[in-house]
Amino acid sequence: MNKTASIIIAIGLVIGIGFILSNKKNVEEVTKAPQIEQSYIKDGVQYIPIIAKGGYLPRTSIAQSDIPTKLVVKTNGTYDCSSSLVIRSLNYQKILPNTGETIIDVGTPKDGEKLLGLCSMGMYSFEVAFKV
Amino acid sequence: MSKYTFHVTGTHCASCKILIEDILGDQGGVKSVEVNLKKQIVELEDDTDQSAEDLAKVLTTKIIGNGYTLSVDKKEKEKNSDNIIWTAIPIGLVFLVLFFLLQKSGILNFGIGGKVTPATSFIIGLIASVSSCLAVVGGLVLSLSAKISQDDKSDTKTIVLFHTGRLVSFALLGGVLGIVGEAVGVNFTFATILGIIASVVMLLLGLNLAGVFAKSAVAFDSGIFKFFRKVEHKNFAPLLVGFGTFFLPCGFTQSMQVTALSSGSFTSGFLIMFAFALGTLPMLALLSFGSASFAQSKHAPLFFKSAGVVVIGLGIFALLSGLAGLGIINPIFNI
Repeated sequence: MNKTASIIIAIGLVIGIGFILSNKKNVEEVTKAPQIEQSYIKDGVQYIPIIAKGGYLPRTSIAQSDIPTKLVVKTNGTYDCSSSLVIRSLNYQKILPNTGETIIDVGTPKDGEKLLGLCSMGMYSFEVAFKV
Repeated sequence: MSKYTFHVTGTHCASCKILIEDILGDQGGVKSVEVNLKKQIVELEDDTDQSAEDLAKVLTTKIIGNGYTLSVDKKEKEKNSDNIIWTAIPIGLVFLVLFFLLQKSGILNFGIGGKVTPATSFIIGLIASVSSCLAVVGGLVLSLSAKISQDDKSDTKTIVLFHTGRLVSFALLGGVLGIVGEAVGVNFTFATILGIIASVVMLLLGLNLAGVFAKSAVAFDSGIFKFFRKVEHKNFAPLLVGFGTFFLPCGFTQSMQVTALSSGSFTSGFLIMFAFALGTLPMLALLSFGSASFAQSKHAPLFFKSAGVVVIGLGIFALLSGLAGLGIINPIFNI
């Protein structure tokens, strides 16, 4: 094969892979998805729902700071990597039940804090930013 | 009696020297033969009084079946193999694009509800074998089998042993998890570190397959490759690697391990993990035996280089994901 053609095709394909794997989330897609619940406050505790299945949804979210907060991680027939959840800042690692809800206490996050959750292999992640 | 010096291509391994010397030494007229892997030349003494070009052609026909060629002129062959890499890079990248598109598509995320039985764990195994786990386990299998096939074209025993080790260890460890029950936790950090080691091995083998180190054949003989070649023909090594895949980071494997843990008996844990491993077998067997059969075809150089490109891509993906998993770097991917 022609060297120049090969380099051009290769660069195109690498850009394609970069696009597929890029961390840039489609915000519209996330807000439109019906199954995603907003975070809510009940009895003075903030609950942030996260769906774990083939990745985490919502991938990024903003929550209120300075209030006791819990993550509600929902699994439904989840066997992929997102079922093995790691939150390094909380020293938390657990294999979630294949179907069910797991409540994780994240304490009372301060303004500007970020919470990063990953699956054990590291290719799925979610981030919650806390703001006043 | 005349002395000849030929350039040789296709010598990937230490055993190539022995093979070429054996074959050429058996030819009538050839009095002595000495292969120099470092310089990639063959020196031989011959009493048939042919021209160097004719002799190179005649002798090449004897060893071309094993992937080696002799030539008087060196440059032509190098140019040829340079061209192969330019075809191999796009081919490898196309496979990577298809693989990542498959992950992104969400096709693999359909749920399997209810209780896990050996039948459902077999299906989960089938899905796992084309999922992102393929980046680690499949990449490792592809790079190891391609490397083994490249070194010794007729060696499928090693591959069979690897798969045996994998099936047996999944079944037995599944059974053990079933007995031990909740007492044992699966350590993610351990799995992730193992995954990083696997991805570094993949990167090295991938670079080797793609021929990046080909300029200096010496590189093959040093360090890890020397060790690798030493163990690859022993029986316990492929068994052990197959056994090790139980601990590689793969979400599917980990959630099946937990299912086996909570299954409560040796038999049920055994069956669940065995069925899961059996489900992953078709894809992994295709990768490994596919490598072996490609290695014997005339497209072998193109296959090895393309496989190298694929393995490098998967290795980078697995390595960066693993580092993110350990919290060393920020997550880059989100498929």
